[in-house]
Parts: sequence; structure tokens; C-alpha cells
Amino acid sequence: MSLIRNLLRARELPVFAALLIVMGGTSLAVPHFFSAKVALDLFLGVAVIAILAAAQTFVIVMRHIDLSVGSTVGFSAFLIGDAYSKGLGLGTGMFLAIGLGVLVGALNGFLVGYLKLPSLVVTLASLYIVRGIFNEYATGQTIIESEVPPEINWLGLNRLFGVPYLFLVGLAIVIIAGFVMKRMRAGRDLYAIGSNPQAAELAGIPVARRVFFAFVTTGGITGLAGAVLLGRFNSANPNSGLGLELLVVAACVVGGVTIAGGAGTVYGAFIGAILLQGITLSIGALGIPQFWQQAVNGSLIIGAIALDRYLSTRVKRTSIMGSKNE
Amino acid sequence: MSRFHLTWDKGVGLFLIFTILLGTFSSEYFATTSNLTFIIRDVAEIAIIALAMAYLIIAGEIDLSVASMLSLSSATIGFLYRAEVPFEMAMLGGLLAGLLAGLFNGFLVTVLGLPSLAVTIATLALYRGMCWILLGNKPVNQLPSEWVNLGYSQIPGTFLPWTVIPVVVLAAASWFVLHGTRFGRWVFAIGVNPQAAEFSGIPVRKVKLLLFAFTGFMSGIAGVIYTLRFASASPDGAVGYELGVIAAVLFGGVSIAGGVGTLWGVIAAVLSLGVIRSALQLVDFSANALLVVSGGLLLISVISPKVTDYVRSQRSKASTTKLTRRNERVKP
Repeated sequence: MSLIRNLLRARELPVFAALLIVMGGTSLAVPHFFSAKVALDLFLGVAVIAILAAAQTFVIVMRHIDLSVGSTVGFSAFLIGDAYSKGLGLGTGMFLAIGLGVLVGALNGFLVGYLKLPSLVVTLASLYIVRGIFNEYATGQTIIESEVPPEINWLGLNRLFGVPYLFLVGLAIVIIAGFVMKRMRAGRDLYAIGSNPQAAELAGIPVARRVFFAFVTTGGITGLAGAVLLGRFNSANPNSGLGLELLVVAACVVGGVTIAGGAGTVYGAFIGAILLQGITLSIGALGIPQFWQQAVNGSLIIGAIALDRYLSTRVKRTSIMGSKNE
Repeated sequence: MSRFHLTWDKGVGLFLIFTILLGTFSSEYFATTSNLTFIIRDVAEIAIIALAMAYLIIAGEIDLSVASMLSLSSATIGFLYRAEVPFEMAMLGGLLAGLLAGLFNGFLVTVLGLPSLAVTIATLALYRGMCWILLGNKPVNQLPSEWVNLGYSQIPGTFLPWTVIPVVVLAAASWFVLHGTRFGRWVFAIGVNPQAAEFSGIPVRKVKLLLFAFTGFMSGIAGVIYTLRFASASPDGAVGYELGVIAAVLFGGVSIAGGVGTLWGVIAAVLSLGVIRSALQLVDFSANALLVVSGGLLLISVISPKVTDYVRSQRSKASTTKLTRRNERVKP
């Protein structure tokens, strides 16, 4: 009984229902929609966004935002290919990519956590700075397929029971991040910080340290996602990851991670990412011109935010009525 | 004795003078009339949108959809003109599209009570999608030459491009309303504390709705100028401009927490970024350096108030009076 009640109250339910409706409706209208090719497109397309959305959840839950991920993920992808083409091997490349992510995350985290600067401004600045250094370093070069480490190439091309390894990498990261957010003390602290920063401070949570390490974690995962991005396209160029940050935030918001902080899960963000990708595929399958895709995505995000707002006011109303006796 | 009190916006003004001097010394081509024409034309759209964005951020809101609204205005012009509507009417249609888009943002934020950061990420995608729906992947290029000429010719007898007229008029009007009228004081009051503003009788939601509509309209104007400047209406114009606008506004001394800022600072910031871009291009620096410089300036603009706060608190520790530090609101 309580399991069903919990399921019905889950924040992920609306987005999951929407995913079922979109995919179900499309497969009713287009009989052969559920093919191996569509599943492959879905799995491959969603991997990078899913990882970045999981990472972004750490930050949005604290009522912060990290816009620098698009630049970092592109630079990381480039660094892995660049290191390999210079004969440094995959290990060095991964070290550089994750190191870059951690460095950017540490810079963001220090400025936001310890200096209490607004995260929107700080990460907008690091978006510019990282992209600028990236483009200066890349000098217009492109990482071509022969410069991609074969292990990463293999991840992008091979499958386990029809599921691409790239997606499994993404899934593993989502599950680990989800466990940390649900079960670990540091993860629960992030929710407390997002609900009420002052109260969290008074309750003895080391807010500055938590914020710092949340940004470092987001950065590190973003660096790792660079490998997935490289495996997905088998190439990287100075425009890799450009504008990805807004798509990632959109996936989180659609998945029920409230921009006001304190609510939402990694799994929700994951489903949000799948929904956005699923809609793209449905639009193609239904024969709707691709030009409609962005407008549909935009409307969907508005719907998700409005629904979230409606649900949260409903919860608040009942809680006020519930505390009538006090 | 009145002392010169250095505030951030005056600092940006000095920085503008500094960048102009730097540009002049670094390249002989910098202080030429053709380069000044180029700089003014180059910053026009960002300047116009930044004026409106300054209002919004001072009032504690934000709009990330401005570049999409600019493009929607441009796409509407192209769509109408392709449907053989007279070009003058098509331009009015573009302005109307911007206004309606801004009103819709305002409706979502003030009537439905949704957070503007999330909502305008959504409308960023929505309005850009509408550009694609309107034009498909075929840009409209055959625009009437007498209008297109306005986009790149100068006012006769001067080196000033025609776009300087709307920029100066709009800047003067925006400055007057923000710093010289009751409405302007309302905007600041709302940004400092929306509840207190509501209780003191300010129609907070109406003001915010108006500001979103204003931002849409200004983006529409920028869209018309953009269309004329590039003699083309395409669905993928001005992608990413929103971050440039916000960076300029924040560098100009407007606080992201709301309630603080001047339009002088914003205008000086837009101009100095344009001057730096031009100077860097002239001394053969790549565009990448500009990205790093913009990011660095943005960081400096948020760090330096902290530093002055810290210095002040150290000073007040030394004095006998105990100063309670302002409890700052931190917003994403």
C-alpha cells in the first residue's frame, strides 16, 4: 500500500508518464517505430545529456546552477583525442580530461561556496573562459576518427545485448550519482542546503564545503562525459559541446529537479533527458518536419515547469491544513 | 568637502576610457572613423537589449530568451516579406512578434508564478523553434535595397551609422525612466524586496509583466536592426547573444541579486566590450582572447564588491562601533 502511495507521489511520475505517452502514442501511429535502430538512436543520443544532467542535479538541488558544463565537456573530449594523437595514450588523456573538469569545478566551487558569489555569474564567466582557452589551444583543429583512442571508439560502436556500451557507462554514472544523492549524508545535505541555506548552516551542515565539493563532483563527471561525447561522435572540434548547458538544465527541469532547489532526483533528470531525446525521435518518425522539434521541446519544458509549480503548491496547501492543530 | 566616491559604474566608465586609449596606442587603425563606425554598428543590438535586461535584472528577474526573440522578430519579417507583405508592414510585424513573445514570458512568470530562469530557457527553445517553423531552412535574402542600405550606410556628412539614432534615443529614454521617474524607483524597490514593495502599494506583478514585454519589444527592435545589418532574415541568427547581453549588464555593475545598478554602467560596459573586441581584432589577437577577457571581467565584477566589503569590515573592526554586515541574498 505505502509503496503504491509513494509511487503516486513521486516527482518522477509525471515525466515518466509523459515518456510512456510519447513513445506509446508514436508506436501506435507508426507501427514499426520500436525498431532496433530507433532504440540505438535513443540510447546513443541520450548518453551524454543523461550524464551531464545527473551531474547538474547535484548543483541545481542546492539552488545553484552550473553553465560551464558545455565548454568543459567539449574541451575534455578534445583533450582525450589530442593526447592520444600525440602518443600519450588513453590513461593520460582521461587524466587530463577529468583533471580539467575537477579544476573548473574547484574554481566554480571556491567562488560560489567560500566567497558566496552568485553561481549564475561565476559559471557564465567560466563558460567563456574555458571556451576561450579551448579554442586558443585547439587553433581550429578537429580530432578525427583516427585520433580517437580505440577503446573509446569501441565503446561507441559495440553493444551488450543491443544496448550500446556508451549508454551503459551513462547508466552506471546515473545509478552511482543517484545512490549518493539518496543514501549518503553528503547528498542529503545538498537537499537541505537547497531548501533553506540559512537553516542548513544553523543545523551544522558545512555549507561552504558541501557546495565546493558538489561543484568539484559536477566538474569531474563533466570531464568524464567528455570521453562519452568523443565516443558518440568519434570526433571533436572547437565547437564541441557548444550550447549543451541549456539542454542539460532543460532535461533536469523536465525531470522534476526544481530550479528553486531542494527537490528532484538524479533518476528524474535521467528520465527527463530520455524524454527530450524520445520526442526528437518521435517527431522524425511521425513525419513532422524537424523544424518543429525545438518548439515542441520548448513547450514541453514550459509544461513541465508549470506542472511542477502546480504540484508543489498543492503539497504546500495540504501541509498547511495538516498543521491546523498546532 | 565632497569627495569623489568611486562606484563600480564609474569604474567601468574609467575602464572604457582606458580601453579606448589602449586601442589607440596599440593600432593606428583603431581611432579611424571607419573603425568607430564599425564598433558602433557592432554593439547596437546588444546595447539595445542590454538596456531592457538591466531593468529586468534590477527587478530581480532574468530573461534568457532575448536572442531567440531577436531572431523571431527577424524571422517574422522574412516570413511576412516572403508572403508579399510590404516591407514596412513586415518590420512592424517583427516588432509585434517581439512584444508578444515578451508578453508571453511575462505571463508565465507573473500570472502563473513560474521561475524566470527556467521559463526563459524553455522559451529560448520555443521561440527559436518558431523561427525554424516560420522560415524552414531557407533564409530570406532579397530585401528592399533602400531599407538594407540603412543597415550599413552612414548618416550623411558624418561617420555615424544610422543605427546610432535608435540606440541613443532608446538609451536616453531608458535612462530617464529608470533614474528619473517613480516607475524607475519601483523597479529598484521590487528588486530589493518584492514583498516589501507589494506591501507599500507597488503593483509588483504589473510592473514585472511590463518589464518582460519591454524586453521582448527591445529584442524586436534589435531584430529589425539585425535584419537590416545583415540584409537577411535567417532562422539561426544571433545564437548565444543572450549570454553576451547578460555578461555586459552584470559587468556594468547591475547586481544579479537585484535592486542595484545604473544604466550608465551598462552602456559603458557594452561599449568597452565592443572596443576591446575591435582592438583585439586589430592587433591580430584571436576571438578567443575576447572570450577569456569577457569571462575575466565578469568575475572581477562580482569579486570586487566582496573585496571592498571585506576591507570595510576590517576597518570597522578597528573602530569602536560594531558594524553589522549586510545579510546578502545569494541567488543562482
